[in-house]
Amino acid sequence: MHRAVLVIAAACLGASAALAADDPKQRQDLTAVIALQGKPCGEVVSYTVQGDNDFVATCKDGNVYHVHVKDGRVVVEKK
Amino acid sequence: MTPLLRVVIAVGALLPAACALDSAPPARAPMATRPVEPAAPASVAQAPAPGTPPAAKAPPPPQASAVPAKPNPPAPAAAAPAKPRPPASAATAPAKPQAPAPLASAPAPLDLQSLEKRLKDTSAIGVLTKLSLKNQVDDLIGRFRAYHQGARPPTLTDLRPAFDLLLMKVLSLLQDHDPGLARDINASRDAIWAVLTDPRKLAQFA
Repeated sequence: MHRAVLVIAAACLGASAALAADDPKQRQDLTAVIALQGKPCGEVVSYTVQGDNDFVATCKDGNVYHVHVKDGRVVVEKK
Repeated sequence: MTPLLRVVIAVGALLPAACALDSAPPARAPMATRPVEPAAPASVAQAPAPGTPPAAKAPPPPQASAVPAKPNPPAPAAAAPAKPRPPASAATAPAKPQAPAPLASAPAPLDLQSLEKRLKDTSAIGVLTKLSLKNQVDDLIGRFRAYHQGARPPTLTDLRPAFDLLLMKVLSLLQDHDPGLARDINASRDAIWAVLTDPRKLAQFA
């Protein structure tokens, strides 16, 4: 019975994480950040959250960028 | 493993898929409207992509800045001669043109600190974008400080295009969702430039 509860809890956590990683505002924010850094992207179509202010963004043109904050600066690195 | 337990596990496995299906449509609906907006900042920011080409891109921004900057002063000047003509008297003509001049220059002074606060508070720009913009503003201010300290690789001729480009980035990010702030920042372009080029004002502002 405990295993069943754990499975359901894990499923709900996974579902909420998927929701958090599909926020249109966050996608737009990442798109703007990548554009501000002068990197080719077009538009961020999806992203995953790696941590606090730490994302991996996938662009419409296929480019993938690691966007994170380091020492108060936003860093955009091509992966 | 009882059958009941198997059913519970199966439901647990299907739950994320069901949740994803429910969440997918709302996420794509806004995307249909969003894609158009990000395209603008992307194209604007791709201009600086080369990094050094700001100099190459310099001509367009200065023209854009020169246009709003020059029309303001000439406007009162153009209006002034128009009014003195009707009187046609030499004694009253010089007195009347001076009156509209202060009226025209009255809206010019803008509170830069309030603009900064509005920029921080606006919801038109995301948190990461704001931080990235702040980084670029700090970098530009650093270049101005170097200029004021006597370093000459950055001349004012070099700094003006960088200033115009950064302002254009800010405006392109704001114009769709906070047009009022974009308008005010654009109107204070010369005031901001005056602060940056004056070491005393820059020291006070920073």
